[in-house]
Amino acid sequence: MNFSQGIGSELMDLNHLDEVEAAILFRIDGDVVDSSFKEEYSHNLLRTIQWCKANVDKVSLEMKSNNLNKVTYELSEFCVIFYVVNSIMILTTIASKNANLSLLSIESKRKALLISNYL
Amino acid sequence: MQIATRTTSHRSINITTKHIIKDVIGDINGTPDFLLIAYTPNYREKRQYEQAMSKICEESGTQNVIGGTFPAVATSNDIPTTQGCSAMAFKSSELNIHSSVSYSNIRINPDKGVDKLIQLFKDDQNRFKTGFFLTPGPFFPPDAFKDMKILDSIFAHKFRGMFNMIGKLINRNMGKNGYGVTSFAYKMLMKLLENNVENALGGATIDLNMLSCYQFQGENVFQDAMVGTVFSSDTLNFEHNWTFDKSQKTKSFELSKGLKSSSYVHEINERPAHEEFLELLGMSKELYEEAFKNMAYASLLYLSTLKSKNQGNLPFVSVCHPTLNGVISTIPEEILDESEKIAEFFTQSGLGVQKSAYECANTAAQKIDHPVFGLFINCSNRLLIAGDKIEEENKMVKEAIGTDVPFMTLYSGGEFSIIKNKPIYSSVSVHGLVAGYNNSSQKNVVL
Repeated sequence: MNFSQGIGSELMDLNHLDEVEAAILFRIDGDVVDSSFKEEYSHNLLRTIQWCKANVDKVSLEMKSNNLNKVTYELSEFCVIFYVVNSIMILTTIASKNANLSLLSIESKRKALLISNYL
Repeated sequence: MQIATRTTSHRSINITTKHIIKDVIGDINGTPDFLLIAYTPNYREKRQYEQAMSKICEESGTQNVIGGTFPAVATSNDIPTTQGCSAMAFKSSELNIHSSVSYSNIRINPDKGVDKLIQLFKDDQNRFKTGFFLTPGPFFPPDAFKDMKILDSIFAHKFRGMFNMIGKLINRNMGKNGYGVTSFAYKMLMKLLENNVENALGGATIDLNMLSCYQFQGENVFQDAMVGTVFSSDTLNFEHNWTFDKSQKTKSFELSKGLKSSSYVHEINERPAHEEFLELLGMSKELYEEAFKNMAYASLLYLSTLKSKNQGNLPFVSVCHPTLNGVISTIPEEILDESEKIAEFFTQSGLGVQKSAYECANTAAQKIDHPVFGLFINCSNRLLIAGDKIEEENKMVKEAIGTDVPFMTLYSGGEFSIIKNKPIYSSVSVHGLVAGYNNSSQKNVVL
C-alpha cells in the first residue's frame, strides 16, 4: 500500500465509527493533506471544518509550546479532537457532540500512530 | 509451546479477519489447539461476525474457538483498538485446552450452562486446571430507567414485597427495561464452587452503545450465551488475581434499606438513596444529569465497595438515575443479604487504574517462575477512565509479567473469578490469569 492509500484508509477507518463525522489530516499551516467524510454532511459540519482549518495553526502552536499530544474542543454541535501525528501534521477527528470521547481518543491515538508510520 | 497474538484494526470486518488469519493463525506451525477471538462491537450485524468466525474456523482448521465482542481489545504486542480484533492462538503438547462448550440461554438458566463447564473439569485428570468463560453483559438502553419510573414510584416504596417479585422478573426475563449480569453471574460462580472448581476466570461481553454484543464458540455466534473451556496441565501452573483502584478512599456509608432481589437500594445513611448518593459524590442533581445523561448504566468514576464475609471488599457500580428515587447497584443478592452493609467510597483515577493493573498482574506473576502467557478481563469503565492512556496500563502489565510474555486484555461488562476456592464477582476491576512454569512445585515452602 502506498503513502496516500495508506493514510486515506486509516482516515476512512476512523470516519467509519458511528459517532465520527469527519477525519482530516492537516498540515500545521492549515493545508489539508487528506480527509474522509460521512456521505451526508451538514452545513454545520462544513462550518466546523472551516473553523478547524482556520485554527489548526494556533492549536498546533499551543500544543507545541505546551508539549501536548492531544487537544479536545467541545463545540455546540460537535466535538473536535486534535492529535499530533508528527512535527508538521495534526490528525483532526470531528464527532457528534454526544460521542464518547474516551473511546474516540483511543482510536484517534491509534490512527495518529499508524499514519505517522506512513510518513 | 507456540502462542501467537495480534491486534488489528480496520473499518471492514473482512480485512480485520484476513489480518488475524495471516498474522496469528499463520504464525502457528500447523493447526492451533485453541483460538481466543475478540472483536469490537462496531461491525454490528450478527451475520458479519458469523462470516468472520466461519472464515477463522475454516482457515485455522479448528472448531475449538471461543470469543466475543468487547468495546476495546488489546494484546501484548499491539496498541489497543476500539475498531478491530484481537486474537490469541495456542498450540502445545503440555497445555490441554478442552473442546469449548456453549449454552445459549445463560441469563435464564445459569445452572444448566455451568453444568457443561463442570463436566469439563470432571473429565480432566491433570494436576493444574482453571476455567475460562465469557457471558453476555449488561444491557440498558437509554430509556430503560424511564420505563422503570412507575415501578419505582408505585411498587418499590409502597409495596415492597410486590416489587421484589417484579424486580426478579425484570432481572430474569430480559424485559425491555434492560438487564444486568449480577443475577446470573454470581449463581454461576457459586455453582462452580459447589462442584469443587478451585480456579476460574470469566468476563462479560458488552457494547457500550447498548446496541449489540455477541459471544462466539466455533462458528456459532450467540447473543445470550455462555461460552467457555478448561485449561489444564501437569507442568504449567495457573495463577489468578484481581484488584481495583483503591488509592483514593474518601468516606464510608451505610446501605440502610434495600430490595435484595433487584439490588435496589432505598436508603443510604437512613436518608433517601438518591439524595444521599449525590451528597456522597458532592454533586448537584443537575450536574450529575449533565455528566451522565448518556451513560445510564454506570456512575463511572465513583465506586463503592461492600465488605463481604468471604470475599473482602467488593466494588460495585451504583446507578443513580434522575427518574428513580432509589439507587440501582450491582451487588449480588446473596451479599446484600449479609448482615454488615457498611460500604466504602472510592474515586477512580487514570493513574490508580494503571497501578491496580500492575498490581493484579504482578501479584499473579510473582507466584510463577517463568510466565508463558496471560489473560486479563478488565472493566470497560476502567477503559473509559483511562481513555487514550489505556496503552500505559498494558505497558505496566507487560512490565509485571515479562516483556516477551504474550497476553490479551478484554474490556468487559463484568469480571468474575474463582481464586483458590473464593468467588469474586465485582465491578470496575481487573481480573487476571498468568500461566507458566515453576522451577519447583514446592515454591514458597520454607523448611
